[in-house]
This record gives sequence, structure tokens and C-alpha cells, in this order.
Amino acid sequence: MAQMVLLTDNRSRNRALVSFIVLPMLFLTVALLGGLRVNTQDHAFIFIAPPLITLVLAVLLILLFARGRLIELQTWVSSSYTPLTNIGHSWMLLTLFFASAQAFNSALPERGLLHWLFSFFFLWTLWNNQFSSFDARRLLRSLAALFGTAFVLKHLLLASLYAQEGGWLQRVAGALLQGVSLGTLDAPAFAPATGYISFFTLVLYIGGLLMITFSTHEDLMKPEITQIAPVTHRDQDRSQTV
Amino acid sequence: MQHKSIKVTGLVVTAIYAAFIIWVYATEPRTFREVANSASVAAGSYQVDQEKFNAALALFRQEQFRAAREQWQQADPAQSDARTQFYLAYAFYREGWGRVYYDRDLFKQGLDKVNHAIELAPQGPLTVDDPNLQMHSAAELKAELEQGTERGWSDLNPLKVLRTRK
Repeated sequence: MAQMVLLTDNRSRNRALVSFIVLPMLFLTVALLGGLRVNTQDHAFIFIAPPLITLVLAVLLILLFARGRLIELQTWVSSSYTPLTNIGHSWMLLTLFFASAQAFNSALPERGLLHWLFSFFFLWTLWNNQFSSFDARRLLRSLAALFGTAFVLKHLLLASLYAQEGGWLQRVAGALLQGVSLGTLDAPAFAPATGYISFFTLVLYIGGLLMITFSTHEDLMKPEITQIAPVTHRDQDRSQTV
Repeated sequence: MQHKSIKVTGLVVTAIYAAFIIWVYATEPRTFREVANSASVAAGSYQVDQEKFNAALALFRQEQFRAAREQWQQADPAQSDARTQFYLAYAFYREGWGRVYYDRDLFKQGLDKVNHAIELAPQGPLTVDDPNLQMHSAAELKAELEQGTERGWSDLNPLKVLRTRK
């Protein structure tokens, strides 16, 4: 019995740590790194604030999380919880929103026609998904594929086309692409470190979503009941000694 | 109780982290060194490198304005000291001043610097008590630089060659 109480107490403490410290810190880190690029010439940091379209995409994504039951709002915010718990959970959801916006910011090309093409495809996919049946795991898999594809296209394919130190074939292909598109496919070239930062950001983001899935699908608020257990146990001991 | 402390700690720590992120995006530091400099400015512990400042002043008095500016930029990497920014503007003024013509590019850069110095001045108008300078206030320097960047009929006045550098 005492072991059970200890186990549930540990579990509830770990859940509190995840919900109130780990997840918000993780999502805030995504928010910090999502807009970070490294300049090719002097390796200086460039911070790109999230464009308006990424906020729209983030709203759609949060709606999708709610529809796919990745976030069960009633288990995160409820009138039966203490104000502190509600504030903490709302804060976590807010950090998730900004992390989502910055994850899109990280995967979208910065300007030109490609920026709008990528935005359109994201918008189209998210809008279509609003009307399909999803569960949390399937949604997560779909998101990993979506962000993975955008990452490969932007940081591997396009970056190699526009790389200044690339071979002559790459440069010819880049020039041809520019010529055919009348310069509308122009994309800024960043240092290779940008790709690594983006990869790390997206992995962190998907990792955070995975953690939410695991924590949401176990009952979040059990800990508040288990806290009573040690007190009753102690009371029993006291009554035995009396 | 233990959970309450976790919740409170989590909220406080993450709120500070969020404030840091907003600050980073607002100030847009370009290097880790700039992050550290901006942080020390925000904390109020930032100080100009006095040795480099004095070296720059010596170069300025020897009329080596470019070298002086380099030294001043190194002395104030965060560009947060009003006095150093004033001297930088003055160096642009002196280098750009000519008896027959003014170098408008240098004057424009000087104007940017003096405007920045005025923004940085903590209380009221910025004045520098240096007997080697003829203009002691940022307002005077700004007016002089503005006049130099403007084009007008007075530019054709031959008597302009009689003017003196301040």
C-alpha cells in the first residue's frame, strides 16, 4: 500500500514537472530558435519574428490538436482545478501556440514566391485536416511528415540550390530556376548552421507534442487525490499507537 | 504543497525565459558578445572600456578620425554610452568638414550617431565638457551636421571658404 502511494506520488510529481516546467521551457526554446538564422558572410545571428501567416497556421494547428484530441482542453483547464493549476496549464497552451508559429517560421522560406507556395500548402493541408477524422497518434505522425517534408525542401533542396559555395551544376540549376521564375523564387542564403538549428527546433517541437500525448492520455489530475493518501496512512499509524 | 512549489517555480522560471526571448527578438543581437553586452546594459552594469576611450580621444586630437572611431566603437560595443556616441558623431563631423565642400555621407553618419547619443542621454540635453571641442552640446552638433547635409543656394556663396571648422 505504502509502495503504491509512493509510486503515485512520484508519478504526480513528475507530471507536475512536465506540465509546469519541462513543456513550457521546451516550447519556449522552440519559440526562441524557430526564428533564428545565421548569416553566411559574418556568421551573425538574424532573428526573424513570426510572420502573420505563421500565426494563422498556428491557430489552425491548435484547432487541429483539439479536434484530434491531442489537447483535451477540459483536462487542461477546468473550473474544478485550482487557479494556479489553470494559470499554469493556460500558460503551457500559450507557449505551445507560439512554438507552433515559430516551427512554421523555421520551416517556411523567408521571402518570395516560395514563401507563399509553402504557406499555401501548409494552409491547404491544415484546412483539409480540419474535416478528417484523426486520433492523437495519427495526427502526430501526419505533423512529423509535414514538418519533415518542409524541412527537407527548404534546408536541403533549396539551400543547396542557392548555396554560394556549391558546384557549377548547382549554380547553373539555381540560375535556371531563377531565370524561369523571373526572379520570384529568390531565397536568402544562410549559413549551414541554420539548417542544424531548424532541425533541432523541429525535433524539439515534435518531442514536446509527443510528451503532451503521453501526459494527456493518462488522467492529468490524479495527483491531487493521491496527495491525501499519505495523510490517511499516517493517521492510521497514529490511531494504532493510541 | 510540493506540487504548488513546482507550479510556482515553473511559472516564474518560464515567465523569465519568455521575457528573455521577447527581449532577444526586440534587440536582435548579432553575436553572443552582443547578447552579453545588451544584458549588462539592461542590468545597468555596462561600462565603457576607459582605456580604449582615452586612446581614441588621443587619436581624435591628432586628427586621425577613422582610427579614433574604430577605437571608440571597440570601447562602446553596445553603443549605449551617450558620451562616446557624441564623440563618434564629432569625429564624423570633423572628417567630413571641408572648406569648399562637406562630405554628405560622413555628415549623415554623424547625424545618425548624434541622434542616437541624444536618445541615450539619461536626463535632459547632452553636454560634454571638453575644452578641445568648440561645440559642447549634442544639439549644437546636430544643427551643424543637419546644415551640412542640406542643399541650398547658400552652397554657392563664395564667402563660405572663410568659415571655420568647429
